[in-house]
Amino acid sequence: MFTRLIVYFAYFLKTSKRYQSAKLFFYNLLENPNSRLKSYFDVFMICLVMLSVFLLIYEVDHKLGESEVLFEHCVISLFIAEYLLRGWVYSDNHKIILEHYEKAEYLNVPFRPAKVAGIMLAKKIEYVFTPLALIDLLAILPSYRPLRILRVFLIFRLFKLFRYFNSIKLFANVLASRRFELMTLGIFLGFLVFVATTGIYLFENPANGGEVKNLFEAFYWAIVTVATVGYGDISPQTTGGRIVAMTLILVGLGVLSFLVSIIVSAFSEEMDELRENSTYAELNRFDSFVIICGFGRVGQHIARQLEKDRLHFVIIDSKEANVLKAKRLGYLVIHEDASKNGVIQNAGINNGATAVICTTGDDVINVYITLTSRHLNPDVRIISRANNQENVKKLYQAGASNVIQPFEIAGMVVAEYIGQPVAFEAILGIIREESHVIMGTLCVHPGSLVEGMSIAGIDFEQRKLILLGIISANPEHQKHKNSYAIKNQHFYFNPEPHFVLRDGDLLVVIGREYAIDYFRDQIEKSRLKNGRQR
Amino acid sequence: MKRIAVFGYSIMSLEAMARLNPEQYSIIFIVNDDAEAALVAEKDFDTKVIDFRNDDALRSIGIGADVDILFCFYPRDFDNVFLTISARAIDKNITIVAIVDDPESAEKLLAAGANKIIDPYEICGRKTHEMLTKPDITNILDNTVFGRHDLNMAQIEIPKGSCLESTKTSDLKLNEKHNLILIGVVDKELGDQLHFALGEKEHCLDAGDVLVVMGPAREIKAFKKEVEQVERG
Repeated sequence: MFTRLIVYFAYFLKTSKRYQSAKLFFYNLLENPNSRLKSYFDVFMICLVMLSVFLLIYEVDHKLGESEVLFEHCVISLFIAEYLLRGWVYSDNHKIILEHYEKAEYLNVPFRPAKVAGIMLAKKIEYVFTPLALIDLLAILPSYRPLRILRVFLIFRLFKLFRYFNSIKLFANVLASRRFELMTLGIFLGFLVFVATTGIYLFENPANGGEVKNLFEAFYWAIVTVATVGYGDISPQTTGGRIVAMTLILVGLGVLSFLVSIIVSAFSEEMDELRENSTYAELNRFDSFVIICGFGRVGQHIARQLEKDRLHFVIIDSKEANVLKAKRLGYLVIHEDASKNGVIQNAGINNGATAVICTTGDDVINVYITLTSRHLNPDVRIISRANNQENVKKLYQAGASNVIQPFEIAGMVVAEYIGQPVAFEAILGIIREESHVIMGTLCVHPGSLVEGMSIAGIDFEQRKLILLGIISANPEHQKHKNSYAIKNQHFYFNPEPHFVLRDGDLLVVIGREYAIDYFRDQIEKSRLKNGRQR
Repeated sequence: MKRIAVFGYSIMSLEAMARLNPEQYSIIFIVNDDAEAALVAEKDFDTKVIDFRNDDALRSIGIGADVDILFCFYPRDFDNVFLTISARAIDKNITIVAIVDDPESAEKLLAAGANKIIDPYEICGRKTHEMLTKPDITNILDNTVFGRHDLNMAQIEIPKGSCLESTKTSDLKLNEKHNLILIGVVDKELGDQLHFALGEKEHCLDAGDVLVVMGPAREIKAFKKEVEQVERG
């Protein structure tokens, strides 16, 4: 009966949406490194920890008022809640129960709740003994009055900052990656200090006319000397003691240089990864961005244009020279091979990327990146560059949404320039928005003033706009002439006056930017107004 | 008919020349060797193998005489600069269009006397950006004006004695009468600048003014013909 109750409860938790969403919320708040919520929470906690530490310093020679005490209680309550919530998020008890229950059912063996309880407890104890959880606990415990003796542990509140500062974590990780070298150095240093301590005590004890009264003083002197600090409060008087001192200073210098070189080399090796991590972190903050694969000449032009538009983008390139150039320009860049699944995935193809631009000079690589990107995200827009006409089809097959052929486009531009320079400059000027006259689209929203209206009813001349045509997928319009099929839609050039606009149609107009924006606002407002009336 | 000399065999030069109307332009390709000459000849273009460093060789193909437009499509910028400077020295009025590999060479080419510089990488970059930020517009233009459909953009110069002379732009009503859309006008009285037909200013058309229109190829042709016929009459 008890077992059934436990299992029922575990199933209930598994299926409960409220429970799952609550757990997900706290996971995002406390642990998920990619969550924006966590970064806000971290900043809040950093402020709180700093304030509470300032309060502790203030408490040293002042008496706390009621409000300060209340604040301290609030901080402690929050710390306790955080500690418990982290423990809750650390493992899923209902999953452990169900896993064991289903296993027992399958093997037809009795389900043992006591064993499962033991496993669940072991998991939670595992959490309690993780370094960061220990710091959390030690930051809370001294606040408990009977444990006032542990007040020295209040300094652990500062250590709590480890949790919230990524750079401190990174520093710890870099040191951890050099564990073997540091341990070897530590053993050697320990041996050196031990020899020096023994030597100086033997030579410099008061019986020999020295100043070292006991082994602790010898140890203190050895540490001060090996670190090349040398306070001079204890100095060797005997020849033997001085030889020990000289040797220790020279070896100490070597040890210190070795320690510095280990840390520096570890940092320089990890630096690229650290930079890339910071790039990923920055990308996570963007709601939408573009991935540019290849920072050659074309990639550079695209980046410049996107920067002008204030659009976010990240560059992936495996060539060091290109990466350096991008960094110099202040762009976000990942020094990796974009054809690898992991690289594109980490760059955020499924996490905010709106488009991938494959613009390397090699069609083979462009096909591969296109294929990889399409495989990872079936909906993302992929614009790919084809240097060779034969590869255009392959790029479309690989999943490109659009294919650009640099030499063909340039050829076309040359031909247009020679054939019709004025018309050509006009169209380029419009597209590039160089003359404040732009080509724009206006959407016919349901319920807006233009829905159901005929072209004759909209006075484009008075609005100082030129109507080029209408893009629509509405089958109702197919009876009209001047229709050009474009993908799944039709472009109706120079629509007749009786052409009636329908929901979803796009008006393609040329005009000054503010004239187009003004008309767009009117359409938008009328939609909202009519929506309210309904 | 205008005569064009194209220096340098590449995908781009072939693409550009293939787009020009053979009835309006006579094209000659200048190539480095016979192998290239054979490749170009396959596309039905006239070819000649000459050394562009030699002024007499340049004159022999008609530079300084009947060549109106010169294309410098060599992959190396210094070859293009040398060719531009040589051609400009021979003929002050020739139109020189040059491609540029390194953006820094653009100024040098202009100083050497080129009329128009084409940077294929910049054009490709811009095109990609347009495709990204204005997919609807780019799609239409690629599929119609620049693409397989017969929708074109054209410039039509008003000849002397044309029926359009002294006509006001607001009275043209090209969209109703000719199924064309008037994009803009180059009013010679006001300079070479294109004025978009947004109804901001009334222009009275004179001979030499240019109309920029958009519409189906046959309608453009018919409109052009109509203007020319009037001139003859």
